[in-house]
Amino acid sequence: MATKQVRYEALVKALHADLYRYGYWLCHDKHIAEDLVQETFLRAWRALDSLKDEKAAKSWLITILRRENARRFERKRFDMSEYEEATITDVKATSNEQEIENYWLREKIAQMPEEYREPLVLQVIGGFSGEEIASMLSLNKNTVMTRLFRARNQLKEAVDNEPTLRGLHNG
Amino acid sequence: MDDLQVRRSILSDPKGRDDALNEAIKNDIAKQKFVQEIDALDDKIAQAMNIPVPDGLYDKLILRQTLASHQQQKSKTRVRLAMAASVAFVMGLTVNFMMFSSTYKNLGDYAIAHVNHEASHFSNNGQPTVTLASLNDKMAAFKGSFNSTFGTLMFADYCHFDGSKSLHLVFQGQSSPVNVFILPDDKDIEFVANFANDKLQGRSLNFNHSNIIVVGDKKEPIQQWQDRVKKSITWSI
Repeated sequence: MATKQVRYEALVKALHADLYRYGYWLCHDKHIAEDLVQETFLRAWRALDSLKDEKAAKSWLITILRRENARRFERKRFDMSEYEEATITDVKATSNEQEIENYWLREKIAQMPEEYREPLVLQVIGGFSGEEIASMLSLNKNTVMTRLFRARNQLKEAVDNEPTLRGLHNG
Repeated sequence: MDDLQVRRSILSDPKGRDDALNEAIKNDIAKQKFVQEIDALDDKIAQAMNIPVPDGLYDKLILRQTLASHQQQKSKTRVRLAMAASVAFVMGLTVNFMMFSSTYKNLGDYAIAHVNHEASHFSNNGQPTVTLASLNDKMAAFKGSFNSTFGTLMFADYCHFDGSKSLHLVFQGQSSPVNVFILPDDKDIEFVANFANDKLQGRSLNFNHSNIIVVGDKKEPIQQWQDRVKKSITWSI
């Protein structure tokens, strides 16, 4: 019993931040992301004995979180238009130059199609390889690499084309 | 590796550069610049994605798990208690069943077992030691009497026949003793008219409130024995 508790606490400590961030980029809502993470870890606790390989813990947890997120849509359909989905409230946005830049980029990331954003989040936050992302999302590796390419390409174009408008956005 | 391929692989995975890619950008200033640009973009993306985690999320997660596992344990204790109670209940039933129910399925099985158990006490060349009067004394308990003796009656006494009091008579037979049981009609045990195993055979007769069972070996004319018993016995009310 004690060892299970220790394992669990170590798992939470090491991975809750990444999982929260991943959840946030899935649903764009801090509170929902928090709920998702809580649900995920609760399920993880119940099924902790089935986790044999600690190295697989992160992708295991992400799989649980994705399923939790999908279940949210089964339970209840949220009325969210494209516009609302892209709106990110960030109280720290005006604090400094870096945060303004982050805010602007966050908005761009949020506006990206889900199918491009998810592999990018998994790669940048999760640190997963193309193969790992492919198996997590049940896609083939080439599709994942193409989506990653398009995702970065879109962000690059956005960064290249819009720097002068940034001030207007936040001013 | 052509230009497009280089751009594609850098954009799809900036950190996962393989040897072919490194070779391709080594002597190409434009490509090196592109790599730097994308690295910088990736840093920005990582920074932008690195949204602040709410304070105390870790503590909340631990708390929820502690509460959940506490509840789980409570319900487990309840389940265990219920299981222990069920086991005790079933054990009670089993003991009850074993102590107060017939071990044998029918009269025939019991009669054969009884005869086998006592076979060593009786030899077939005994003398008639029981008088008609003493036999009828004993028969009084079953509200019956014999009008005459038949055959050589070597032994007559009360016996326990699967929990009920019975009268056990042993007659001299052709090659081995013939056993006659007189016992009250007991509904708990199934009545069978004919029964046999590899050595013994037997017949049962049901009267108003008694059963008479005759058991002998295979050579014995059991039917004849039964007819004799039937003829000589009278039942009082």
